[in-house]
Amino acid sequence: MSLKSYSRARAVHVMLVYTGGCNGCDIEIVNCILSPKYDAEQYKVFLTWNPREADVLVVTGPVTKHNEKPLREIYDAIPEPKAVIAAGACALMGGVYKNIHGDIPSEEIMGPVDNIIPVDAKVPGCAVRPEDVLSGVVSALPLLLDAK
Amino acid sequence: MNENNKITEKNVIETEVTMGPVHSAAIEPYRVRLFVEDEMVKDAEITVGVNHRGIERIMEGLPVEKANSLTEKICGICSNSHIWNSVLVAEKAIGIDVPERAQYIRVIMEELERLHSHLLYLAHGNEVLGHETFAMRIFYIRETVMELLRMIGGNRVQYGASIIGGVRPRCELDAMRIQKISEGMDIIEEKVLDFADRFVSDPMIMSRITGVGVLTRKQAIKLAATGPTLRSTGVETDLRTEMEAYEPFEFNVITQDDGDVKSNLLMRVLEIPEAINIIRQAIKNLPEGKITNRSWDMQDAPITKSYIEVPRGKLYHSYALEDGRVRNSIVRTPSITNIGAMQYAAVGHHISDAQLAIVQCDPCFTCTDRAIQIIKI
Repeated sequence: MSLKSYSRARAVHVMLVYTGGCNGCDIEIVNCILSPKYDAEQYKVFLTWNPREADVLVVTGPVTKHNEKPLREIYDAIPEPKAVIAAGACALMGGVYKNIHGDIPSEEIMGPVDNIIPVDAKVPGCAVRPEDVLSGVVSALPLLLDAK
Repeated sequence: MNENNKITEKNVIETEVTMGPVHSAAIEPYRVRLFVEDEMVKDAEITVGVNHRGIERIMEGLPVEKANSLTEKICGICSNSHIWNSVLVAEKAIGIDVPERAQYIRVIMEELERLHSHLLYLAHGNEVLGHETFAMRIFYIRETVMELLRMIGGNRVQYGASIIGGVRPRCELDAMRIQKISEGMDIIEEKVLDFADRFVSDPMIMSRITGVGVLTRKQAIKLAATGPTLRSTGVETDLRTEMEAYEPFEFNVITQDDGDVKSNLLMRVLEIPEAINIIRQAIKNLPEGKITNRSWDMQDAPITKSYIEVPRGKLYHSYALEDGRVRNSIVRTPSITNIGAMQYAAVGHHISDAQLAIVQCDPCFTCTDRAIQIIKI
């Protein structure tokens, strides 16, 4: 393991972006990093709100019309190498908001996240469980560590 | 953050500080504009609408059972309140009797949700204060509630307890579950009282939050604030005293006098033992019998309204029924009426207290983004 990977593995900064879900996933993700029960900080995973210092972008929600542009801008602001995790049913396939009417398209929902930015790992669940979020972040780590 | 400076007539520089929609201080997306003079906030403006999903429009024409479970997805914090109120509308419209045991279980779910919502508020408030240790301690207490909710509903966030005519069979409370709830209540009460002791006796925190974000009683009533935000200014108002489901229970309506951040935080701390008290009464006197009344027929109904008290205030749902499908659905959540209070509370204080003043009203902008129709009179 190179020195770069070694140091990267010891300071993984996660940025959470909320794009119009129901708040359930966001609280679970914050809970998974801050709460002493799951405490991702013990694995050197930190929550940040600054895209410039983030390594992993966690996106929740079905991406509403007004959130599409900010999401792209945040993705561009994160330095390489980066990984994107889509967390929750809404981020994976639009959730109930997009699909409850079958094939009739909704003008409000631009998602899922796949349509807007490339996604590296997907965490299912409505709402996601903190354990799953942790494993999602871990599965995205090789992208960061093996990058040249 | 954009700053446009302009020199006013008095030679005082008025600055506009804009945050959002995605900003480090706020988890949820919303936009706030602060007009600042000499680092003191002169005016504040909150704009919502970023996460508009058009839920009322999606509900139009759905079968009523499907629409009920969709209302739960409005908010991940007060999800049980939404599904309960939505089910109440259908029950009121068709005229369905709900078994007493189901009412008790619904009350238990609602009070557990009140516990986790208030604990989340306290954690969030402490994080905005900059006291992350307290925030982590409260998150730890909150885990107990989440585990209880997961045990009863099968999920940590969206539990879907209420269905038309009662509660889901999954949410039946047997002896083992009652035992676990009872043990959980003891743990939460002990830890919350311990936290309250430390919180009130910390001079740094108390001096930081006293007199910040003051909302007077007159203004709170004028701005139509609801729930704990209104109660913290001394107005004794709680819809639970009028609700049918809460008739068998005895509880106190907590009020505070000052309407500042301290009153709001203490409101939540004092409401937690009341909620625990209601849960204890409910599991002690839990009636025997069925939990679901299935002997009802769907029928058409005109627009029916229902108000209930949720952790943040008054929640309103209304819809009409046509061939078992939902028509003209309207949802009004407590946060939308509290926006005026948030704007007012931020004014007149230092800019570093503005976020705290907004957070003290317990905003939930996910709930808030409904279709709003403004009619000129």
